Amino acid sequence: MKHPFRWVALAVGAAVCALAVVLALTVSSDPHAEANTSRLVGKQMPKFTVEGLDGKPITSESLAGRTLVVNFWNSWCIPCRQEHDALTSWYAQHHDDPSIAMLGIVREDTKAAIRSYVKDQNVTWPVAFDPGAKAALDFGTRGQPETYAIGPDGVVVASKFGPVTPAVLDQMVAYAQGTN
Amino acid sequence: MRAALGILGIALGVGASAVGVLLLALGIARKDVELVRAGRRCVFVVLAAAVIAVGAMEWALLTHDFSIKYVADNNARSTPVLFTITGLWAALEGSILLWVLILAGYIAFTARRFRSRLEDPMVAWALLVALSVALFFFVFMAVAANPFKLVDGTAPIDGRGPNPLLQNHPLMAFHPPMLYLGYVGFTIPFAFAVAALITGRFGEGWLADTRRTTLVAWGFLTVGIILGAWWSYEVLGWGGYWGWDPVENASLLPWLTGTAFIHSVIVQERRGMLRVWNLSLVLATFCLTILGTFLTRSGVVNSVHAFTQSSIGPWLLTFLGVVVVICLALIAWRADKLHAPGRIDSPVSREAAFLANNLLFTGLAFVVLLGTVFPLVAEAVRGNQLSVGEPYFARMTTPIGLGLLFLMAVAPALPWRAASGDVLRRRLLVPAYSGAVVMLVTLVFLTRTLATVLAFGLATFAIVAIFRETTLAVRSRRTADHAGWLKAFTGTVRGNPRRYGGFLVHIGVVCIAVALASAGSFGARQEVRLRRGDSVVVSGYKVKYVGTRTERSAQKTSVSADLALSKGGKSLGTYAPAVSTFPNSNSAIGTPSVRTGLLEDVYLTIVSSPNATGRITVGIAVNSMTLWIWLGGGLMALGTIVAIGPTVRRRLQVRAGAPQPPVPTEPVPEGAGV
Amino acid sequence: MLRRWLPWIVLAVLVVGALAYSAWPRSGDESVAAHTRRIASDLRCIDCESLSVADSATSSARATRADIAVRIRHGESDAEIRQVYVDRYGESVLLKPSSNGLGILVWALPIAALLIGAGGIVLALRRWQRQPRLVASTADEELVAEERARS
Repeated sequence: MKHPFRWVALAVGAAVCALAVVLALTVSSDPHAEANTSRLVGKQMPKFTVEGLDGKPITSESLAGRTLVVNFWNSWCIPCRQEHDALTSWYAQHHDDPSIAMLGIVREDTKAAIRSYVKDQNVTWPVAFDPGAKAALDFGTRGQPETYAIGPDGVVVASKFGPVTPAVLDQMVAYAQGTN
Repeated sequence: MRAALGILGIALGVGASAVGVLLLALGIARKDVELVRAGRRCVFVVLAAAVIAVGAMEWALLTHDFSIKYVADNNARSTPVLFTITGLWAALEGSILLWVLILAGYIAFTARRFRSRLEDPMVAWALLVALSVALFFFVFMAVAANPFKLVDGTAPIDGRGPNPLLQNHPLMAFHPPMLYLGYVGFTIPFAFAVAALITGRFGEGWLADTRRTTLVAWGFLTVGIILGAWWSYEVLGWGGYWGWDPVENASLLPWLTGTAFIHSVIVQERRGMLRVWNLSLVLATFCLTILGTFLTRSGVVNSVHAFTQSSIGPWLLTFLGVVVVICLALIAWRADKLHAPGRIDSPVSREAAFLANNLLFTGLAFVVLLGTVFPLVAEAVRGNQLSVGEPYFARMTTPIGLGLLFLMAVAPALPWRAASGDVLRRRLLVPAYSGAVVMLVTLVFLTRTLATVLAFGLATFAIVAIFRETTLAVRSRRTADHAGWLKAFTGTVRGNPRRYGGFLVHIGVVCIAVALASAGSFGARQEVRLRRGDSVVVSGYKVKYVGTRTERSAQKTSVSADLALSKGGKSLGTYAPAVSTFPNSNSAIGTPSVRTGLLEDVYLTIVSSPNATGRITVGIAVNSMTLWIWLGGGLMALGTIVAIGPTVRRRLQVRAGAPQPPVPTEPVPEGAGV
Repeated sequence: MLRRWLPWIVLAVLVVGALAYSAWPRSGDESVAAHTRRIASDLRCIDCESLSVADSATSSARATRADIAVRIRHGESDAEIRQVYVDRYGESVLLKPSSNGLGILVWALPIAALLIGAGGIVLALRRWQRQPRLVASTADEELVAEERARS
């Protein structure tokens, strides 16, 4: 073969160009924007038992038949603090509605820190600890905050990874209520 | 004032390097030495500019000038002095300043070294290429990543402070500069390689000119990588020293091709072969250093290092693209002239062993590169989210690493050109048997893990072979010179510093290989919940939870757990792992406490802080042979220092009646260059 | 002839024997802890950057290890356990890409590259063997003889 080095150089060049194009494409994308939608969407909500602030267990069965908003959170993550006001105002609007229930499950935090946060920030909706981090695992949570909307039939219809706004919550719940 | 000074420094750097490039180009085109000399002087102006810019930034940091955005983001009034100084390289913009300073330093050193060879177009071209790289980085700073950008609005009263992970340990002062001294150092051999291709003089001249700089850069890169591993182990607290993190891999890639280059250079020096290959290796090493910077700084990959997301990605990628295209074009252009007349006579020869060495090192580099970019490519092409982590790298690199251990044992004993069975038997049989015996002993008494058994056997093979070669050489010098053992030893080493420096580096590598193999097979790890006064026994070590302490300083608040360690009844001291929180950050940083022993470490961490009932969860790990990684790294550094030393040849014995040649007894510097 | 090779043959036998013994699948059960650790080191910890579940200290990692241990005791196979986590988190939770689909490239390409490289070296060696060694021609020999006679 005449001038094999030339051909090798050109082949390497083509491969490197291809790699460069790929890298250029990914530079603009956000590496953390993994599919924002949880894989749980469309499936049945996993059964769970969590521990309320008073120490009494709260089971998933006790919440059955209602549209459920489950929010995984903790006291130290910044986006959790960002969505706190949104959750408070949304809960104030909807807590009278018997067909809707909201539950905040703690993820990766100590009991002492949560208790003092609940007291200082006046958290009004039910909050529960997750012994053994089992519920977080069964839901397939990828971090916090992560919010799920579950229809009355127990099917998870929507999820959001990251802080929610009242508009997003309304949308998720409307979607959950639409499926009967 | 400080920002103005800094910007002045950067502007001066842009101007001086542009003028320098221009003068050098004109000087080469018109074959005018005076123009080249003027271009050479610009190099020193560029160095001054870099010093001014770095000085301005350190001044701003030390005086807590928060009107500058970089200082506000990476420094706070409560930051200790050491970490204020190291704040220069705490984030992207500042680290480019460091890069530019080191690059200017290397170019200035080269310019001075070659001041008497300016008529040589190769030297002029090399300076031009190096100065062009400096020009890129100065322009990059001026336009895309200005470290002296001012804060919008009024200056904050206090800055954010550096990332907590970067103010935890004094090692922060050494790891990045060492790495950069390594990365940036490869620019010089790169510049000479490009000059060799352009001038058409791709014989061995450029190799001799850059031999020492390449070794120095390689040595610094080795130390930088080992320090990074040490930092990961002692500071980050996850219990390991290498996570196959994309940024760790980015620093390993140029090291792998650089090591391949150091070895195959020897073949080119001896036999004139592998010219294209060596040129490609050097060009690739430089490209990989830029790729590494791109991967680290552009936020493309998730990593504990990737703490910036900005527009600098496209800049670095473009620069990398341009460099790669130029390199490939040069090789394609000169392709027909690059073919060397040499040949390898026998597959059992040192040349063939070096070829195999290069195959394995480039194979390793390919594996690491593929594993690092594959998730990116898969996502861009197919939208799949894939991870490539430690299990993949371990599975792929272990066999290659074992192959390299084998070559390390065998190659120094192989003669050049061809080996006969007698030579092989004489030189290799005893070391090989030693290795086999150790393998059997390991198998029977220690572990059945295949990789560990092989690693121990091959390590013994290598050590005994090195020992044998060195002892024979020292013994023959002893009888020839009628000298004592020590004098004969130093004489042997100084007579061939490359060989014996290389042996010392290989011994260091063997130490690291043994440590890595042991870590995989031995050791224990446990997490225990303890109340005050409780104790637990792990692998013969008794750990007793004595109590906790809280320390508050301006910089951080730390909760430490005092753990009393003892073995076989004998107390080994109290160790205190801690968890610290910093005022401007929400996450808690764990600090391990490590008892370093000759054969094993006890590694203590706090998994969860004391809760309401006073219980604490402690992580106890007993790690095998970790000290030998740091010792091995030290030996590699020492071996590099020996290898760049001058060759001291001894007096010739004079036969009666024969004409006496002039005999140099002072050190003879090998090669004429750096 | 055999005597020359005997030490090497004995060595080869020893080494191969040792390797075979080492690689022989051993009887005896792996403990649940070791089994859990083995599976956990192939899964990525969700809250971390690139640590495995085995190495991570977060509560989700500890919960995952506990969950894996429970599943092992229930008799689920390694592949089934891994699939549970892939269903929850996607393929990116596996630290080693699976061999089906796009992932196979990351295993096959390096092996292919090494084989191609080794093949190239072997071919080059063969080519060099076939080249005749340089031998001085008779004209050259005569020139040398002339010079010698002159000095």
